[in-house]
Amino acid sequence: MRFLRRRRPHALIGPYVLDALETAERDRFERHLDRCRDCETEARSLTATATALGIAVAADPPPRLKRAVLAAVDALSSAQAENAAIAALMTASDARTTSVATSAGGTATVVSSLREAAIVFTSSGMRALPATEVYELWFIGHGGARPAGLVPPPGDGSTSPVLAAGLEPGDKVGVTVEPAGGTTAPTTTPVVVMTLA
Amino acid sequence: MAEPSGVPGNPADSDTPLDALLKQVADGDHAAFEAVYDQMAGPVYGLIRKVLRDSAQSEEVAQEVLLEVWRSASRFDPARGSAAAWVLTIAHRRAVDRVRSSAAAAERESRFAAERGAPAADEVAESVAALLDAEQVRRCLDGLTKLQRESITLAYYRGYTYPQVAALLQVALGTVKARMRDGLTRLRDCLGVTW
Repeated sequence: MRFLRRRRPHALIGPYVLDALETAERDRFERHLDRCRDCETEARSLTATATALGIAVAADPPPRLKRAVLAAVDALSSAQAENAAIAALMTASDARTTSVATSAGGTATVVSSLREAAIVFTSSGMRALPATEVYELWFIGHGGARPAGLVPPPGDGSTSPVLAAGLEPGDKVGVTVEPAGGTTAPTTTPVVVMTLA
Repeated sequence: MAEPSGVPGNPADSDTPLDALLKQVADGDHAAFEAVYDQMAGPVYGLIRKVLRDSAQSEEVAQEVLLEVWRSASRFDPARGSAAAWVLTIAHRRAVDRVRSSAAAAERESRFAAERGAPAADEVAESVAALLDAEQVRRCLDGLTKLQRESITLAYYRGYTYPQVAALLQVALGTVKARMRDGLTRLRDCLGVTW
């Protein structure tokens, strides 16, 4: 029996390389590979052989596949970059949280970091706007209001975190209702102006 | 270890560029990813379509595979094999998972009877770039015994597990395992795979 137990894993190297094992068996064989240098060398050369079988049946995909893949990668990486930047700001050593009620209902919350020179804005309970309008963020300093980006439309009453870079010392953060697409200077009275903690 | 060079079926001039490209992709380099796409989309799509035999599903799975290449490029380890082998292993496993889980899987055995004995005309690569490789692979496949060849192609090109292959060919499990292994070894030597 011991002989069989020792021999059996190695005999599966052909099926393993061809992906002809069920998942559980494949996992077991991979644990065996980790302990067996000879098998690993053999597995590598036979995998390279299977790769040649794969390349031999190469076929040109339709051009739309490339467009779809590259677009998905773009979306994925900008979401990743945004998430990474948001995470960096939330964990900055000087990160401060400020929450203020708004005249549009609900609460606006800003996490700010002067070190990161940025804020993350979220809100809950602010009234939904028609498609022709948008909530716009502003950094408000001595020189007036500087556009800081648009707030994504609320889903389930709250808005997903949005990162705004360009925070300067002494800035307040304001929110106004603007025509869809936003403006370069506020055209309405802010629904909230936040003095940062 | 010997430099993996002169390997048949490699889509690039040598392995080094694709390896290097994957490193750049791991750093989030979009241009490098597009270059990886240009080198590997043909093999990835062709292999998946070979297994799934359905263009629409193959496009879907190819997209998943190529996005996984983007996401997990940092996990590619050159010490464990070539970049092309890494990408095609992901593609083959996804294709096999899909074909085994699809509702059509149950019908495959009955279809197999009709397919068996048909000429290997559909094994021919359609991409011009792959023609040379396809020719050499076909020549080397022809050099195997019938049982070796059928064991390998039923598993690799159709996604059957080795017990299914054994049942289809009506031979013992141990025989199929052995023919897959010695068939691949002979194929490797015929192709001159050096790594």
